[in-house]
Amino acid sequence: MARAKKKAGEINSSSMADISFLLLIFFLVTTTMDVDTGMKRTLPPWIDPTEQQNDVDVNERNVLKVNVSRNGSIMVGTEEYRSNDLKRSAGHSRLSREVYHFLVDADKSNKKATEIEGATYDISEGLVSLKADNESKYKIYLQVQDELTHAFNLYRDDISRAVYGVGYNELDDIQAGNIRKAVPMKISEAEPNDQTKK
Amino acid sequence: MAKKGKREVPAMSTSSLPDIVFMLLFFFMAATTMREVDPLVKVQMPQANEITELDKKNLVNIWMGKPMNAAKGEDALKIQLNDKTQEVEDIRNFISATTATKGVSPKEIVVNLRVDKEATVGKLTAVKQELRKADALSISYAAMQAE
Repeated sequence: MARAKKKAGEINSSSMADISFLLLIFFLVTTTMDVDTGMKRTLPPWIDPTEQQNDVDVNERNVLKVNVSRNGSIMVGTEEYRSNDLKRSAGHSRLSREVYHFLVDADKSNKKATEIEGATYDISEGLVSLKADNESKYKIYLQVQDELTHAFNLYRDDISRAVYGVGYNELDDIQAGNIRKAVPMKISEAEPNDQTKK
Repeated sequence: MAKKGKREVPAMSTSSLPDIVFMLLFFFMAATTMREVDPLVKVQMPQANEITELDKKNLVNIWMGKPMNAAKGEDALKIQLNDKTQEVEDIRNFISATTATKGVSPKEIVVNLRVDKEATVGKLTAVKQELRKADALSISYAAMQAE
């Protein structure tokens, strides 16, 4: 009699754990998909167009003009680049190499002595002015931004090796902050009124 | 005798395992549904290499792409703020409302621009101009890691 009671009383709940594990794993997998990643930029503060504008004086030689046209071709200075030049081979693309060379340009006159960790280094004053046609594709625009960022990161890596002896990626937060401050990512995203001028 | 002794060693109770796992499950379900917004515009994110992970705390999303229910051939870009499609001019109000509820200044937030890769740059520039007017200067171009 007592035996029969025991048999009826227990429901096997060992599979419950398996089921809930399965659900848990399902939710874990589906939610990692929306990790927010992106390319950070800082916009210039708004200047009222009716106000007197005194443009920041930048030496022409320190500016590299990058122009994205509506058909997907890219003008860098006076040279034309195609979408193939944005593709990376061996870690760099033609565009990022070009921008990097522009930044490390041996010309001393476009460099500013900057103090990092008590020593002074010649840091490029180079500025990249990026303009895009209103009808150009965002995909290409972002690819160009990507390559420009890559070029600046390469340059930061150089400076980091000169200052700390290790690459930019291996620095701690404070050191990386110092490098970022000394080598700002000078990418100017042109305003629409610049685009109407041909 | 030996048989009896074996039987009396209790099996480790696993009855609380489902409870623990269910608790974890509910935690993940709650944490993830909170920031889910029904997409009204189709956004296929572009790929890029030089991207960083964004801090979720002060992140504000702006979607830009073709509407989900767009007729064929229709290629008007729409902007989605929170859970409705709105116009470029509404961005300033949206930013001030969002910063007011979060209790931060516009300078502290990061605006994540989730723009469809087939979108045109012109509209994006208009959005950026509005963000400048709203004093929300930290932006990020949402992108996926390229392989």
